[in-house]
Amino acid sequence: MSTGHHDGMRDLLTARALGALTPAEETALAPHLVSCERCAAEAERLRETVRLLDGPPGAAMDDDTPPESGGTLALALRTRPAAPRVAEHAAPYAAAVAGLQALLEELEGDGPWHTPVVHDWDVHDTVGHLLAADEPLARHLGIAPRVPPSCVAGDAPWEEAWNARTAAVLAHERRRPPRETVAAWAAQAGDVLAAPEAADPARAADVTSLMGLPLPLADHFVVRGFETWIHTDDIGRALGLAVPPPPDPHLWQMVRLAVRILGAALGPDAPPVLFAVSGGDRDAQWVLGAENEPVRGELVLDSVDFCLLVGGRYAPDEVPRVTTGDRTAVGGVLDTAASLAWL
Amino acid sequence: MPVESTAEMSVGPPSDAELHRRLVYGDETALAEAYTAYGALVRRVAARVTRSPGGAEDVAQEVFAQLWSRPYAFDPRRGSLRTWLSMLAHRRAVDWVRSEARHHKDVRADDSALQTIPEPGPGPDEEVVDRERSLLLHSALADLPQPQREVVHLAYFAGRTYRQAAVELGIPEGTAKTRLRTALRTLARSLADPPDPAFGRGG
Repeated sequence: MSTGHHDGMRDLLTARALGALTPAEETALAPHLVSCERCAAEAERLRETVRLLDGPPGAAMDDDTPPESGGTLALALRTRPAAPRVAEHAAPYAAAVAGLQALLEELEGDGPWHTPVVHDWDVHDTVGHLLAADEPLARHLGIAPRVPPSCVAGDAPWEEAWNARTAAVLAHERRRPPRETVAAWAAQAGDVLAAPEAADPARAADVTSLMGLPLPLADHFVVRGFETWIHTDDIGRALGLAVPPPPDPHLWQMVRLAVRILGAALGPDAPPVLFAVSGGDRDAQWVLGAENEPVRGELVLDSVDFCLLVGGRYAPDEVPRVTTGDRTAVGGVLDTAASLAWL
Repeated sequence: MPVESTAEMSVGPPSDAELHRRLVYGDETALAEAYTAYGALVRRVAARVTRSPGGAEDVAQEVFAQLWSRPYAFDPRRGSLRTWLSMLAHRRAVDWVRSEARHHKDVRADDSALQTIPEPGPGPDEEVVDRERSLLLHSALADLPQPQREVVHLAYFAGRTYRQAAVELGIPEGTAKTRLRTALRTLARSLADPPDPAFGRGG
């Protein structure tokens, strides 16, 4: 018998002891164990190790029908509540809030709250920013602000009022521990999600102008989900934790809304571009710009990349893309998308 | 007016990444799906180590609570949910046994042998010894480097052949075989040379 054959057989002994051979390999190994004492002894030793790993017989509880999940999962759901059940338009926000809350749980106690995240904000500031950014929707829903109101002229342009409010909220939050900011943000988000407008699409249909965007209230909920996710992703990157994109149904709600806003921003006279978005288990395409002219170019983006572009997390010339045709027309779409400056 | 046409493509069983995504975003149906898919494996691992239905239940609760409340601890780019949960259950089960052992020692400080069977009774000495050696092995298994542990978990607990384990881990078959061999050798050595005094037989 060749050494090669012996070595090949010997290499299978551990897998055999663990029951990890194919039946064909078991069959091939059997005669070798009869003829080779060394392998037979080795096989016996390995079996003994696995027998001990199995533990004493009799007490085996290899029951493959686990009890109902209810009892076992109760502890999990006590530890972290599920995202609240809301109508479809509010679901992306509910999910994004749950995702950020879970991420912030990773910063136990005196964790790295001062890690730089985005702009000149650290983790604490970024949550403070979201507390301020959720406020216009909260206020519209009749929810009292969590931070004392600041003095902004009532007739100031929305951007000015908005920047002043963000600065005031950040200044307020920096004076208290990060956990209190998180609690205030989470409580306000919880109130928004508990509002009847989050549960009833009929009550979220009215067009309302918030932060310069006249949109149905339902869309403002989607925008909140979008911004919450983008900042969760910012924090995740800063902390070195991978934040997955929102579940596909939510991501596509964001994509469709962003495409509508992009189409409106380009206007009806822009050179027409076939714009395709793909990702997950679906793809979609739109013609942006003038309707009755032949398409001048094509642009294909991944759904997540498109959201990151619109969210200001990609420069127009950096976003991974496939383009064909008129570069100026396609470039116009990319530039406009990046300039929406949603955040 | 933009024209939209959406082509829904075929949907297969949810991948780890998909399930993880839903866990991160607080979808409790994803937790129930994870339990349906891996609850039996987690319990099997926990029961094998704890030898106690109560212990297996404690460990299963902890494992799924951790998956749900600390979802960012699992990174689908670094391994499968099956091996991650199996290894977490095993680690927790070993911890459970150790804490039970400490508890017993506190209660009966003069106890010379590790007694973790809930009602040890007057069982044969041999069984107590085997029980101890089994715990030693599991403790050593929990301390193996992750690449070895993953293969052992797939082959031993999840019932995979070494070839299937190799495919699942994206490693060559020869590597899977070698890791199993190295792992089992380390375990066998741990019996001859107990690393943890808590598991040594005093007396």
